[in-house]
Amino acid sequence: MIEFACPECQKKYKVDDKLAGKKAKCKVCEAIMHIPELDDDDDVIEDVPVEEVAAAPPRRRRKAGSAAERGKTIRGSSDYFDFEISQRPDFALVTVNLDEGQQIYAETSAMASMTPNIKLKSGFKGGLGKTIGRALGGESLIINTFSAEEGPGEVTFAAGSAGDTAHHRLRDSELYLQRGAFMLHSDGVEVTGKWGGAKGFFSGKGLVLLKASGDGDIFFNSYGAIMAIDVTDEYIVDTGYIVAFEDTLDYNVSVLPGLRGGSKLKQLFFGGEGLVCRFSGQGRVWIQTRHVQTFLSWVNGFRPTKNN
Amino acid sequence: MDYEFLSQPAASVARMTMEEGESLTCEVGAMIAMTTGFEVETTTRKRGGKGGGLGKALKRMFAGESLFLNHFTATEPDQSLIIGPQMLGDVMHFPLTGGSLIVQGSSWMASDTDIEIDATWQGLGKALFSGESMFWLKCTGEGDLFLSSFGAIYEVEVDGDHIVDTGHIVAFEDTLQFSIEKAGSSWIGSFLGGEGLVCRFQGQGRLFCQTHNPPSFGQTLGPKLKPR
Repeated sequence: MIEFACPECQKKYKVDDKLAGKKAKCKVCEAIMHIPELDDDDDVIEDVPVEEVAAAPPRRRRKAGSAAERGKTIRGSSDYFDFEISQRPDFALVTVNLDEGQQIYAETSAMASMTPNIKLKSGFKGGLGKTIGRALGGESLIINTFSAEEGPGEVTFAAGSAGDTAHHRLRDSELYLQRGAFMLHSDGVEVTGKWGGAKGFFSGKGLVLLKASGDGDIFFNSYGAIMAIDVTDEYIVDTGYIVAFEDTLDYNVSVLPGLRGGSKLKQLFFGGEGLVCRFSGQGRVWIQTRHVQTFLSWVNGFRPTKNN
Repeated sequence: MDYEFLSQPAASVARMTMEEGESLTCEVGAMIAMTTGFEVETTTRKRGGKGGGLGKALKRMFAGESLFLNHFTATEPDQSLIIGPQMLGDVMHFPLTGGSLIVQGSSWMASDTDIEIDATWQGLGKALFSGESMFWLKCTGEGDLFLSSFGAIYEVEVDGDHIVDTGHIVAFEDTLQFSIEKAGSSWIGSFLGGEGLVCRFQGQGRLFCQTHNPPSFGQTLGPKLKPR
């Protein structure tokens, strides 16, 4: 790996050795940068597969989820389209550029704007079983399909509530999502409900989780910011703050471990953290920094009372 | 203990990196995620402290903070703990160096276990009459203090006089003198103008304010909802 910094804005990059001597465009300030070593040639590579490096040297062993944590616009391209998630983390907006004939599938009412050549088709997707599964997982029965006709087009999507959106590339893998977290997916991905078993019951989040599987892109949203955490051994998350996790992780719902003194009941009710989910194995978990339920119970206190 | 604030300003959280043996006292419900090497203790008072006990805990409950506090102690090296407030808003760090900081009840998020949290402080008790159930915690000692706000936090360096609406106060140094007064020249005008009571600070010291006032927001939303 070659490490170098943009001469204009000092943004740091890490690139593969074989790109030595090439030129690349900085993601932040769009200046042309020379990747050091070897001889120059004039090919400007538009989309160098660069890995962004945090500005400050990482102090932690547990790697924080790269760009997802720094409140920056996330740009990327997949096999299907280019996308951008801007206005993060408080008011995330997803912009998807579709080539003619390409499609993206979205939850209902997620579309914010689009070019006129984008055609919208609403309907069930993936048959009755999958549709009911999604409904049990807290999503609408209907999936909207946006496809570009007669040339490329652009669609923007935003979630119903203020908050963040994250992207994940599925590679013949599976991702579990919190109820209602699903926002968009590309071709090759299937979203359905998944019986969470008794674990789901104890987490107080309903019995059915959403499961995305296949090979393609998935976007999901939450209230508050989303932080990605790469779990390498074990990690504990309050059940209310889980947005998504890879199925390579094992999970186990329990009371906050390490609590001592008093009975289990005291820990459960007075510990305030309620139940936590302990993840183990290797994989990524996405957490949200705010919980809409807390906000709702706060607002509830301001509701007028009925006069009898 | 190292700290780092992430996803500021509206959905801010604090990520603590703690070495073996270091501990932090948090508001209950503040923990979002953590590594596995922590021992968690729920108490009604300052950890290992002499003062406190149930009496103080009850007072703390009336001060808008929960009766119980959670103490997180790292039992292994290099542990990470993510904590955040309940409402949309920012978090801040205040290094306490022996003096006292008066913190608005719901703005306190976490502090070093060595810091004494006293909910018995009644200096601004009169703010009750403004219809904003505002209570105060007096934090004394040496160590790190983490506060949260509704909206963004801004700092005012008071030298002389400064007037703040009571609902916008996050915290202030106790070197400041203060008095509660009406916002305008007449009582009727003050209340019709929606400003009610304000706090006049005098002297020299730092004052932290929040851009938004939670009761105002609640009173905007509440009447639009179905009665309970």
